[in-house]
Amino acid sequence: MDNRRQEWLDAIAAAGDEAELRRIDHGLLGKQGVVQELVRGVSSLPAAERPAAGKAANQLKLELQAALDARRAHLQAESLTRELAAPDFDPTEPGPALTQGTLHPITAVQNELVELFTSLGFTWQDGPEIESEHYNFEALNIPADHPARDVQDTFWLQDGTLLRTHTSPVQVRTMRRFRPPLRVIVPGRCFRQETVDASHEHTFFQMEGLVVDRAVSTANLIHTMKTCLRVILRREDLEVRLRPGFFPFVEPGFELDVRCLLCGGAGCKVCKQSGWIEILPCGMVHPNVLRAGGIDPEEYTGFAFGMGLQRVTMLRYGIPDIRYFMGGDLRFLRQFVEV
Amino acid sequence: MKISIRWLQRYVDLSDQRPEQIRDALTMSTAEVEAIHPFAVGLDELVVGHVLTCGRHPDADKLSLTTVDVGQGEPLQIVCGAPNVAQGQRVVVIQVGQELPDGTKIKKTKIRGAVSMGMICSERELGLSEDHDGILVLDKDYTPGITLGRVRPLADHVLEIDNKSINHRPDLWGHYGFARELAAILGRELQPLGAPVAFPNDGARLDLRIEDADACPRYLGVCLSGVKATRSPDWMRYLLHAVGQRSINLLVDLTNFVMLELGQPMHAFDRRRLAGDVVVRRARAGEGMVTLDEQKRELEPSDLLITSGGAPVALAGIMGGLGSMVEPDTNELFLESATFHAATIRRTSTRLGLRTDSSARFEKTLDPAGAELAVHRFVGLLGELCPGAAPAGPLLDPAAWRFTAPEVRLRRSRLDLKLGHVIDDTTVRGILERLEFGVRTTDEGFAVTVPSFRASKDIAIEDDLIEEVGRMFRYDNIPEAPLVGAVLPPHREPELILARDLCRMLALELHAHEVYNYSFVPDRLLEAVGVAALPHSVVANPVAPEVCRMRRHVLPSVLQALGTALRSAPAVCLFEHGKGYHPEVRDADGLPHEVREVALAAAGGPGFDYPALRSGVAGVLRRSGFAVAFDELLGRSDELPWIHPGKTVAITLGATLCGYVGELHPQVAHQLELPRGVALANLDLRQLLRAGASACRFADLPRFPAQPVDVALLVPQGTRVKQCAELLRHAGGKLVRGVELFEVYRGEGLPAGTKSLNFTVTLGADDRTLTGKDEEKFLAKVRERASEVGAELRG
Ligand SMILES: [Zn+2]
Repeated sequence: MDNRRQEWLDAIAAAGDEAELRRIDHGLLGKQGVVQELVRGVSSLPAAERPAAGKAANQLKLELQAALDARRAHLQAESLTRELAAPDFDPTEPGPALTQGTLHPITAVQNELVELFTSLGFTWQDGPEIESEHYNFEALNIPADHPARDVQDTFWLQDGTLLRTHTSPVQVRTMRRFRPPLRVIVPGRCFRQETVDASHEHTFFQMEGLVVDRAVSTANLIHTMKTCLRVILRREDLEVRLRPGFFPFVEPGFELDVRCLLCGGAGCKVCKQSGWIEILPCGMVHPNVLRAGGIDPEEYTGFAFGMGLQRVTMLRYGIPDIRYFMGGDLRFLRQFVEV
Repeated sequence: MKISIRWLQRYVDLSDQRPEQIRDALTMSTAEVEAIHPFAVGLDELVVGHVLTCGRHPDADKLSLTTVDVGQGEPLQIVCGAPNVAQGQRVVVIQVGQELPDGTKIKKTKIRGAVSMGMICSERELGLSEDHDGILVLDKDYTPGITLGRVRPLADHVLEIDNKSINHRPDLWGHYGFARELAAILGRELQPLGAPVAFPNDGARLDLRIEDADACPRYLGVCLSGVKATRSPDWMRYLLHAVGQRSINLLVDLTNFVMLELGQPMHAFDRRRLAGDVVVRRARAGEGMVTLDEQKRELEPSDLLITSGGAPVALAGIMGGLGSMVEPDTNELFLESATFHAATIRRTSTRLGLRTDSSARFEKTLDPAGAELAVHRFVGLLGELCPGAAPAGPLLDPAAWRFTAPEVRLRRSRLDLKLGHVIDDTTVRGILERLEFGVRTTDEGFAVTVPSFRASKDIAIEDDLIEEVGRMFRYDNIPEAPLVGAVLPPHREPELILARDLCRMLALELHAHEVYNYSFVPDRLLEAVGVAALPHSVVANPVAPEVCRMRRHVLPSVLQALGTALRSAPAVCLFEHGKGYHPEVRDADGLPHEVREVALAAAGGPGFDYPALRSGVAGVLRRSGFAVAFDELLGRSDELPWIHPGKTVAITLGATLCGYVGELHPQVAHQLELPRGVALANLDLRQLLRAGASACRFADLPRFPAQPVDVALLVPQGTRVKQCAELLRHAGGKLVRGVELFEVYRGEGLPAGTKSLNFTVTLGADDRTLTGKDEEKFLAKVRERASEVGAELRG
């Protein structure tokens, strides 16, 4: 029996995988297994031999069970080690190609602005792109023959309407629709009769902003604009300056400049050597415009701004030419994977 | 507009200010300076030379060979081509190694065999004027070798002002206005202009009459005798040149100089060419005249004229007439200094496409007091520069215009409120007074009187004064403060939010690329897609005549972009969110109806075809709460000729048509050079919202397992999936949990003209597990009723 014991232990030690080990286990300790037979055989022995034989058989059974368990543990550890070794795994091997859609970069910037301003309690509005002379000019304190109309370079339609030259007509439209307090943004498409080149477009995208409430001040405008530019241009340390600017529908009117993001203020081509980039015309709403909107300028004040979305988008992504924005050139479009 | 710093220095001391400091001071308080152009910078380093000898070049008739003492070392041999070079002259010499303002570097050269060690310069070479008739000869015997900067400093910097930023400031269309601003900003003294001239009470006069006082609030005229159209002094010619004004002769230069100084345009007529009374009147129908630029101008009754002896001699405020201009032999002038109605000048100048320095200024609404100031300035300077010239008669001023300074109240409360910052009384008063406002303290703040040069247009209300205070205080010095107010959820516009969400989902779920296209569509495209005959909003002044129409639908632009996109990718899906314009329908304001659309187009085979687009669009709409259905698209072929009539379906929500999805018409594909099988879709957002979104609802989880049953129906081609699905639903009754088509099989093994629609019908019950019997009963029912749709149950 010792011979066979050693034989069995050797077989267990030699088992190459768990399946083979299971077969050996079955052959020895299974219901019909050799060792189970031995255990059963004890009862047929003479009574005097039974205790010793029983003890020996049990011991053998325990010893084999332990050997099986040890071998199984060993094989499992080995197989785990093999699995973890991952032969020929190449970390530089790319996965299958992924097609990703994109939002237009102006949309991405606009979405972010809308999110920021709606979080500040602004309502997101839109207005007609084909506008009346009244809303585009007169209601904004730009009467006929006003020199500012030259600057606007309006596209006129044959029926006497026009393509809005800014998003500002929505100021008065909104004043008429809602009562103060008003916090409004109006991103949208505008048009001016300009020759297209690297920095000019006849179709452009603007975001109007309007706040009307009791005691809205220039100090509030500065804070709101700085917050907005810091978020959209992703620069906590953004430096801005506010200087006079003339627009008939605000009084006082301002231009807001940011420190040139490219040269840091030293002067470069983008900032025309001035170190500053003009980014946001804005101002305190002119009393005549409030009146046109049916609001008493003695009771309420407000500020308004008009941000050029192409400009901001170009600054944010480093796009050098405004003409890239229009049309279906995928080489441009698919670069902007952020949504 | 160009402003010369050297010119400004005539009125305010800026000697300690670098050009950049002046630029920043003006930009932050007055008007935007777009650029600084150096003028004659570097010339100050050049030296004065003394021409020691001057002889003929041995091998060139027109060249002189000179030796020039430049103060150090041996005299230089210089070849000179100027006719006026002569021995003994003091001249400006540029030596080997130095650079001209235009960047030309001077080298040692050999000209026809003679060595030349530099150049004797003309004014044009030095960049001082257009004059290239000869070299610049200095008028004093300066020591050779002394730098030009020591004896005749010329270096200047010219500020380029953004015209837009001074459109509302008639006082800033001349140097004196900018000097006044700088004096106020820097707290310095502003030099007064010369003393007023005494005009004689009698003498030569032309009768002067203003027929239209609204169009001409003031007209001053005076006859001047003893004038000579000589060359202007160097200082004046250089200043004019620095700001881009050509020098002509003293008389013309003086009108330009005063205009660029005070912003007041004037006109000098040759007195000899004026036939009689001077009358300011509107043009008569059919009248015409030839302007200084030798153009014949047809006039209209809205145009304002200066006439003499009944005939037009000037287009008021815009340009003089050809016949009465100053000639080289002019010895008597009639000088005009007037104020014209801005809109009148603007209308005529716009109509004739004739914009001049003069009309640009009158359009700004000039101060009538400036007209008088300018006459005095002109006559005063003329007396200095042209000995013998003097007024020959009285200064005529028939309008008898009188200025009463308006008083505008400035309330302390409103000032503080609008700026959001309290500026003390002394500062406010100081700012206004330096700008020449009169300030009186009142109970509520200040009463401010407006000087005439700010009263014509610029300053009318309290808020205008707040701007004055704010800009001179510098807005940058106002500390920022966050908005305060009630915290309320902002009003939401469902259409805008839906558009944003759909675009995001199309990019994420359909892997589509968003494009932007112009709202103007080229005629070529309209013809290619077949809608050229439909009504379009038409731009009267388009960028190009063939791109004048506004799109009715977004989709054709997307198709055009698709052609471009396919150059960079074999398969692609594009979309655009935008508006279509329908002029035949008008809203309450009379504006064309605008329809917000999201249009898609895809090409490139499986995944970019009609079935993929249809499923994709349905999925994206479902995410927004629109459980849309697809149905036959009826009667849209006129409006949408680009769709394939047999392969396009309507997207519907209940009874509302919300869009379509299908294939591009093969004929249009051919026209646009697009491949066959382009898939397209369009969504009308307002229609979707009108039909209404529905929120997701929970359905209890089934307690007993569902049983899928595959059903293959052999049907004649042309049979609709919808009919068969309905049949299956009926057959299963309340046990049906779902009917899904998983395959349409056409081809081998089927009788000709048929196809097999293979469905999975999911059966289930709430109270028990179904058995084989239930399935058999269902299939028996299907078999029995299949003929209703011409079908036959297979297998
Ligand atoms: Zn820069």
